Amino acid sequence: MQDHSSTMRYSTVMSRLTLAIFVLVSAACSQADTVNINVSGSSTVLPVVSRAAEQYAQEMPEVRVVVNAGGSGVGVKQLGSGQTDIGMISRDITDGEYEQYADVGLKTYAIGVDAVVPVVSSEIYAAGVTSLTFPQIASIYRGEVTNWSAIGGPDLEILVIDKEASRGTRQVFMSKIMGNKNATAPGAKLVLGSNNEEQTALAQSDAAIGMLSHAWLNDDVKGLSIIIADGAPIEPTLANIKNGQFPITRNLLLVSRSDLSAPAQDFIDYILSPEGQKIVEESGYIRVSE
Amino acid sequence: MRISRLYIAGSAIVSAIIVLLIFVTLIVNSSAAVAANGFHLFTYEWNPAKDQFGVLPMIFGSGAVTIIALCLAVPIGLMAAIFTSEILNPMWRAPVKSVLEILAGIPSIIYGLIGIAFFSVWVGDLFDLQSGRTILTAGLLLAIMILPTIITLCDDALHNVPQKYRETAAGLALYKYEIVKDVLLPIAKADINGAVLLALGRALGETMAVMLVIGSIDRVPEPFYNALSAGQTITSKLGREVAESAFGSVHFSALIFMSLLLVAITVSLTSLTQFYFKQEQRLVE
Amino acid sequence: MSNRSIANTAFVFLSRLATGICGFILVFLIGVIVWNGMNSMNIQFLLSEASNFGASGGILYQIVGSLLLVVMASVLVMPVAIGTALFKSEYITSPALFRLSSILIYSLNGIPSVTFGIFGLIFFVNILGTGISWFVGSIILAMMMLPTIVLTTYQSVNSIPSSYRENAYALGLNKWQVIVKVLLPQSFHGAVTGLLIALARAIGETAPIMFIATAFSGITVPGSLFDPVVSLPTHILALAQQATNEAALQNAWGSSLVLLSLVLVFSVSALLSRLRLKEISQR
Repeated sequence: MQDHSSTMRYSTVMSRLTLAIFVLVSAACSQADTVNINVSGSSTVLPVVSRAAEQYAQEMPEVRVVVNAGGSGVGVKQLGSGQTDIGMISRDITDGEYEQYADVGLKTYAIGVDAVVPVVSSEIYAAGVTSLTFPQIASIYRGEVTNWSAIGGPDLEILVIDKEASRGTRQVFMSKIMGNKNATAPGAKLVLGSNNEEQTALAQSDAAIGMLSHAWLNDDVKGLSIIIADGAPIEPTLANIKNGQFPITRNLLLVSRSDLSAPAQDFIDYILSPEGQKIVEESGYIRVSE
Repeated sequence: MRISRLYIAGSAIVSAIIVLLIFVTLIVNSSAAVAANGFHLFTYEWNPAKDQFGVLPMIFGSGAVTIIALCLAVPIGLMAAIFTSEILNPMWRAPVKSVLEILAGIPSIIYGLIGIAFFSVWVGDLFDLQSGRTILTAGLLLAIMILPTIITLCDDALHNVPQKYRETAAGLALYKYEIVKDVLLPIAKADINGAVLLALGRALGETMAVMLVIGSIDRVPEPFYNALSAGQTITSKLGREVAESAFGSVHFSALIFMSLLLVAITVSLTSLTQFYFKQEQRLVE
Repeated sequence: MSNRSIANTAFVFLSRLATGICGFILVFLIGVIVWNGMNSMNIQFLLSEASNFGASGGILYQIVGSLLLVVMASVLVMPVAIGTALFKSEYITSPALFRLSSILIYSLNGIPSVTFGIFGLIFFVNILGTGISWFVGSIILAMMMLPTIVLTTYQSVNSIPSSYRENAYALGLNKWQVIVKVLLPQSFHGAVTGLLIALARAIGETAPIMFIATAFSGITVPGSLFDPVVSLPTHILALAQQATNEAALQNAWGSSLVLLSLVLVFSVSALLSRLRLKEISQR
């Protein structure tokens, strides 16, 4: 009545399963002496930390820096609730956040300076729209200007690309352009998340406008110059960001709690050191110390 | 003996607790949004900075992509099922079904990648749009994702109709078209309805592929039938915003409220489906 | 030709056309994944660590992470699933309770994957304070796998003829002995088939794990149960968002091909296991 082959299979599979569990558990225990530093937040700061983590691992093999994206809001939130050791933020910490996490004592470290640049598809840039004023950009995001021809471009509808509300890049951009970091953008046609995603959508379109960190500009997505009060257009160059001429700049921050662990402090110090600052520069940002 | 009974009863209880725990967790965590907003949840403005949490654009988006997906996938899937069940040489039926099963197993994130790399570009070019991230793109992608489910289940439904009906109908010199339309479809109707409901549930709950191609804007298009503009579904909203909202806030709670709505719909659909599919039961003698 | 015959010809044509469309879609999907994936496929890609945000390097630890998640999920789900199936088949005597158990299991099956992720985020990460952990990811995947395995195991336990049980009782075995010596070995293939089907689905899931179990970079093999992992689906997600970056897109296709292959390994095994199941039940 018993099926022999099936009984055989039953026991062999069971023993293999046991073996697999054993291997799994021993693998899990073998590295127990490493220290993890958990970092999460802004996709603008992420390249710096991710690259720094790769190099840091060569010097300190027993420390692992675990990096996660999500945006500046997530960075503060996860740090404040104790899920991470370091937050990456691409805007200033708000009073509300300081207040909300008063018990953990948020502490910031500026690791670099970046610009938020209004960007357009390369086709629009080539067609002659190379600089705009703040009011012009604001009217596009408010939905008052919907065709490039109204501001000296070709007769094409503007694809207005917005960003998720919690993104640091958006908050910096909106507070300069619209005067309110949480301003709504009724003119927006798409809402995207990370710099990568926004860059892709801009490159895939031939009539888009969006906002990007300076480090994401390339041949497909061109940064606009900004005209302030009838002055000359200010190009989004590193030099202009460095000397403070370009009007939408921001500090890139790492944030910690007051109970920062020694390895995490070491890692922050590494990013502030000359080697770390070199990575900041290679990532397309301005270093904060020479 | 006692331990064994404990084990078996224990596992059953664990299974039951899991289900209940999920529902309780969702209900408890969505209560703050209901308390703070009440019926204002069913409005059109979503703006956490101003404490506005209107979920209608997301409900609209979920409905729109699902309707598009079903309108495309049900006719094609049903016709293909008629082919595999009634016209194709029965020898080929098993391999075809295996291939369909494999197709149904392609992870949704890969559909998302294909959607962003090809479909959104094609839709953009075809309709001369500024952006191919549209409600239509998401619906198209969903249609392809639910197609294997529809074909397999409709094929089963037709195949389960006893052979004698076909023989009798053929004896009356009916054409294949008439056999299918007048004999097989009426008999298999309940199972086919079940298949469509199941596919509907799948489409509503799909997250990753939709999230990557829909454009994520919390707005009902103008006019509302303009499927060539970006939109937002409940799932894409959740996928993008859940990690960003602070646990315990009204914002978070409003998202959980949407999730609860979604679960309520999909779970009732799946349960409803069970009444369509016949199920043999053997209670302990 | 009569109207009837024209209608019939049109009908057969349409059904062939529909099948042709489906076939075309199938060839396109598989073709795109395999063709693009093969371009980045080599030993180096499979066996090295990702770097430069996944745009260069390989996917070794993504593969390891994905397997780790589903293996642990299997270990967690199997005992519960088999127990629940036995309970449903051998212990429930009241039709009302039977109905309730069916409703619960189908409800679990109907919950969208993103909701599982949200549940994990609320219950484990926030309420229990586990943090982002691969073990939590496995627990959530185990919950998702549960209904499939319970149903297939139940079906195969249920299809064992009553005469087997009666004979076993007649030989003086008690209920537990009947379960261990007769029912489990006889229905083992059903459980394995269910597990394989569930695995094929679980390993490709993104939404349930992306809030609770995975990190972007910096993880190789997790050092403890409460570390995050990197996984193939979330890796593809990160890469898909930079679809105009050639190198990143290339690696996204490579990762997709590897993920699809893993899914296929599970689903083809499930298929074979089911064929064997049929064979056994026909004996």
